[in-house]
Amino acid sequence: MTPEERLAIIQRYIAKMPPLPATVTKVLAICNDPNATPADLNKIISLDPVLMGKVLRLINSAYYGLVQEITSLVRAIIMLGINTVKNLVLSTAVLGTLGNRRDFQALNMDDFWRHSLSVGVASKLIARKRGAPRNRLEEYFIAGLLHDLGKIPLNNRFSKDYEEVIHRSRSEGLPLFAAEKAFFGIDHADVGRLITDNWQLGADISDTLFFHHALEGVESSNSEIIFSVALANYYVNVKGLGFSGNCCPQRVADEILSGLDITLDYLDSVEQEVKSEIDRALVFLRVAG
Amino acid sequence: MQVRFWGVRGSVASPGRDTVVYGGNTACLELRLNGSDRVIIIDAGSGIRGLGAHLIRSRSGPIEAEIFLTHTHWDHIMGFPFFDPIYRPNTRLKVYGPITYEDDTLDRIVGDQLSYRYFPVRHSELSAAISYHQLREGEMRFSDGLRIKTKYLNHSLLCLGYRFEFDGKVLCTGYDTEPFQNVFSDDPDSPGYDPVVCEEGAQAVADANAALLAFFAGADLLIHDAQYTLSEYSGGKSGWGHSPMEHAIATAQAAGVKKVVLFHHDPDRRDDELQALEDRFRAVRQPPGAPEILVAREGMLLKV
Repeated sequence: MTPEERLAIIQRYIAKMPPLPATVTKVLAICNDPNATPADLNKIISLDPVLMGKVLRLINSAYYGLVQEITSLVRAIIMLGINTVKNLVLSTAVLGTLGNRRDFQALNMDDFWRHSLSVGVASKLIARKRGAPRNRLEEYFIAGLLHDLGKIPLNNRFSKDYEEVIHRSRSEGLPLFAAEKAFFGIDHADVGRLITDNWQLGADISDTLFFHHALEGVESSNSEIIFSVALANYYVNVKGLGFSGNCCPQRVADEILSGLDITLDYLDSVEQEVKSEIDRALVFLRVAG
Repeated sequence: MQVRFWGVRGSVASPGRDTVVYGGNTACLELRLNGSDRVIIIDAGSGIRGLGAHLIRSRSGPIEAEIFLTHTHWDHIMGFPFFDPIYRPNTRLKVYGPITYEDDTLDRIVGDQLSYRYFPVRHSELSAAISYHQLREGEMRFSDGLRIKTKYLNHSLLCLGYRFEFDGKVLCTGYDTEPFQNVFSDDPDSPGYDPVVCEEGAQAVADANAALLAFFAGADLLIHDAQYTLSEYSGGKSGWGHSPMEHAIATAQAAGVKKVVLFHHDPDRRDDELQALEDRFRAVRQPPGAPEILVAREGMLLKV
C-alpha cells in the first residue's frame, strides 16, 4: 500500500471516528436522560478524547462560525445550552462503526483510554502547580486527553500492521513514533495533525498533538502547554498508567523540566491523585476495572 | 425603517375573545426600509398568512421578499404553508435561518411542512422560486446600505438575534431567549460539584450576557422575548428558553436602547392582563435615558 493510499484511508476514517467503547454506553444514557445534569454531560464528554475533540470541533468549525472560539466545554454548555450540546454529542456517537470490543486491535482501547485520561489529569496538575490561571486548566486537560488521538486511525484501520509496529518498537528499543515513521512513513503526530486540521481544534491542541514527540521544534508562544503534556506523557508511560503502545518512552530533557520548574518528585507525589481520578471515572462509567 | 407586527404570540396561536386586542397569531414582523421596495419578513409564524394576503392585495407586480427566521421552532415557521405568495409563479423568496446541528438542512426543516402527511401541496409543487440560506453569527452588507448582524441567543436550539442597521437607525430582535445562567451548581453538597467548573461557568455567563448587551447597544428599537412575568419565571419557567418581561426591560435599559417592545406573549396571557402589565410598566417613573416600553400588539406599526 502506498503512503497516499494509507493517508486516504486515514482521512476517511477521521470523518467518522466514533467515541471510545468505554464511554459509549454512558454517553447514550446521559443524553437520553432528561434529568441528567450539565455536570454529568460535562463529565462524560471530558472522559472521551474523541467525543471531546468532535464536540469542540463542531462548536468551533467555520460552519457554525462563532465569532469567538470556544476552547472550554463548560463555556460551550453555557453558550449553546444543554439541549444543543446533547444533540451534538448524540450526533457524533456513531455506534457500530467501531465494531465489537473483542475485534482484533493492536492497541487495547480501554488501556488507551486510561493512558489518555491519565495524561490529561497529569497535565492539568502540572498546570496547577505552575500557577496557570484557573480558566486555563481545562485547556491543559483537553490537550493531554487528546494528545494521542492520532493513534486511533492507525490502530483501527491498520491493526495488523500496527501490531507489527508495536512489536518492532519493543524489540528494537525504539520510541513508538519512530517505529511508526519507519513502517508507515508517518507517525501518530502526523495523523494527529490531520485530525486537528480537519476538526479545527485550535493552535494549543493542534501543536500539542504534533509536537509532543518533537519538542525541539516548538516555538515559544505555546511551549508551556506542549512541554507540560509531553512531561505528563513521559511520566504516565513510565508509571504504566494505562498503555498507549509506547514501551520506550523518551525522557524529557532536563532543560524542559527546569524550564517548567517541575520535578519528577512532584509527579510522584501526584501519582495517587491521577490514579484516583481514573478510579472515579470508572465508577462514573460503571465499567469493570 | 418601519416595522409592522403581524403576529406577536409565542408557542402556539391563541385565537379567541380573550386575545382579540393584542392578537393570537404567532411571531411575524414586516420590516420596510425608507425609499426601498424591499420586503423583509422576520419569522413565519401564523401571522405571515395575513402579511401574505396584504402583499398580494397591495402589489401589482411580482413579489420579492426575504424571510429571516430567528429559529425553526414550530411557532416561528408554522405559517409558511399559508403564505400565499409561495403559490404564485413570479414570486421570488429568499429564506434565511440559523444553521443546525441536525442532518436536515433549512429547506428540509421548513419545506417539509409541505409534505403529504401534513399538507395537500408538496414543496416541489410550489410555483415560486425559493432559495434557502443558512446563517451563522456574522454580518451581511447589501448594496442599498442595509447591514444585518446576527448573534446566537440563549434558547433550546440555535436561535439568532438580528440587528438591522439602515440609514443611521438600528432595529434589534431578541427572541426567543432567556438570560444566560450558570448551569453548574455552586452548592458544595451537590453531586458533581466542582469549584473550578462553577467559576468558569460564572465567567462564561457574564461574558455571554455582556456580549448580548453589546449586540443590542444603542438600538432605536429592541423587540425582545417577554413571555413570562418574573414570578412565573422564578416559579418554574427558568430554563424554558424565554425571558421575564422585567429582564427584557432591564436589558434594554443596560444596552441604552431607546424603545423596547415586549414580544412573544404567552398563549395564556389574556388581553386584560397584557393591558394591565403595559399600564404598570409605563406608569413606573423612569430615569432619564430609560427606554420607552411598549407591549407588542398585532397590527401595530412602529417607525424606527
